[in-house]
Amino acid sequence: MNNLAQATWVELLKARRSRMPLITLLAFSLAPLAGGFFMWVLKDPEIARRMGMISLKAQIMAGSADWPTYLGVLAQAVAIGGIILFSLITSWVFGREWADHTINDLLALPTGRPAIVLAKFLLVVFWSAMLTFFIFLIGLGVGALTGLPQAPATLFQESAVRLAMTTGLTILLVTPIAFAASAGRGYLPPMGVAIMAVILAQLVAAAGWGDYFPWSIPALYSGVAGPAYGEVGTVSFLIVFLASLAGFVATFAWWEWADQAG
Amino acid sequence: MTAAIETRNLSKEYGDVTAVEGLSLCVNRGEIYAFLGLNGAGKTTTIRMLLGMVKPTAGEVFVLGKEITGVGEKPWESVGYMVERPYAYAELTMRENLEAMCRLRPGTSKTAVERMIDLLDLRRYADRRFGTLSQGNKQRLGLAKALLHEPDLLILDEPANGLDPAGIVEIRSLLRELVIEQGVTIFMSSHILGEVARLVDYGVAGRIGIIHEGRLLQELDVAKLESHRRRRLEIRGRDMQAMQAVLAAAGFTAEAGLNGTIALGDERAITRPDVVAALLVSAGQAPTMLKVEEEDLEHYFLRLVGLDLENSL
Repeated sequence: MNNLAQATWVELLKARRSRMPLITLLAFSLAPLAGGFFMWVLKDPEIARRMGMISLKAQIMAGSADWPTYLGVLAQAVAIGGIILFSLITSWVFGREWADHTINDLLALPTGRPAIVLAKFLLVVFWSAMLTFFIFLIGLGVGALTGLPQAPATLFQESAVRLAMTTGLTILLVTPIAFAASAGRGYLPPMGVAIMAVILAQLVAAAGWGDYFPWSIPALYSGVAGPAYGEVGTVSFLIVFLASLAGFVATFAWWEWADQAG
Repeated sequence: MTAAIETRNLSKEYGDVTAVEGLSLCVNRGEIYAFLGLNGAGKTTTIRMLLGMVKPTAGEVFVLGKEITGVGEKPWESVGYMVERPYAYAELTMRENLEAMCRLRPGTSKTAVERMIDLLDLRRYADRRFGTLSQGNKQRLGLAKALLHEPDLLILDEPANGLDPAGIVEIRSLLRELVIEQGVTIFMSSHILGEVARLVDYGVAGRIGIIHEGRLLQELDVAKLESHRRRRLEIRGRDMQAMQAVLAAAGFTAEAGLNGTIALGDERAITRPDVVAALLVSAGQAPTMLKVEEEDLEHYFLRLVGLDLENSL
């Protein structure tokens, strides 16, 4: 890929100089903090009694105050919050070129358009993965501070793997969002698509077809539906992969072949 | 040597709207080609097709000998461009914006960024974020990005936009130097003929292509621009009606000129105003004003595109 390394460097520079990494980190930090808060509420019956409804809600959401529950909450937050947040990152990385009218500068360069698109995808993957890594670290810190009962090391390893897989599945689903940002020439169309996808994911999962709708699958994999639901199957992984591939190819094709009047 | 730019029967339609129709033009290497037209005439669409940003509905585009409409190798390492208004990343400084562009153009000299900052007199603003710059300095940054890699061909869309008069003179001089000293070819769009004429007025080979409603109306050498402009002899006197009668009797076609003057378009009146003066004096209608007015470039342009203003010069 012609000049991919330099294109990636430029994408990183643009991201580093913006406030977006900080904003997304702060937004995503809410997940372990909120999870930690519920653990704290569940742990202390006195506070739970005083909090009334909140305690009830925490019980519904989280079950009991222990590491398996807390790490499960984190994975679910990545699956649901991640779709919105990773889509926001993707919308910014791609859509900004049209919103800021900088797209013109990227279209007739010795660095080909495919290299620029791939550099943007690499940035989105790196950014999203780093965010998840940070919230996992924050989660461990918050869990320890909350004083959750000790758990075996294998639980943390398994949770880390589940979190990584959930993150991977969620990141795979940003490619259709990148296409929406490119074809919609800005931030709003891709965010509209992302919000629609999340709403549909809830409806489709509630109807019992969540295994076959790409945006429901990361959440189901993370265990949001509870242990009774069971594991998602190979077909679901394949559906996420195909949706991702379609978004990936469509984004490249759009940059390469569509009329660009930025 | 192949032409710097060649288009053959280039057309672009957006649904029912024809933005460009059957455009065939050829820009030779080392010349300035000014692409002139009113807003919406098809200038920017043409530039976008030259740069491969928009696919033509029909026709072919060749830039520096390479076909843009095909799938083969493109000449972008030798082309600098600025399309419409100059934009850059608001959160990056001017220097960082140039460095980013430098990286996206592999092979560009490491010293190019500082050289551009000096060339376009941007040192004072080099560490300011793009979002805080004045329109004039944004324009300069746009030109700096286009010139960074020392291109053989510059494609500029309205390069004088947003510049103050001093900036316009400076950029005009810079572009002229690029053509004369470095043999750069410049294809630039403008809607101001006077600006274009001044740019090519200093011994630079220059041509003007006039586009209107998507079609190329006329191509002409700037050196021959003078001969295309309309000239008239304007006369004022104490009794305009009597003067008009004398002139008509002598076979002149008198028209109403600007500000109540009489205007004569006859070649003999324009080349021999002294004869007209003598005629009027001998008829007892001595003129109080007599001068040859040349149609200004803007009116020439408007007349060409069919927007002539009545009685104007």
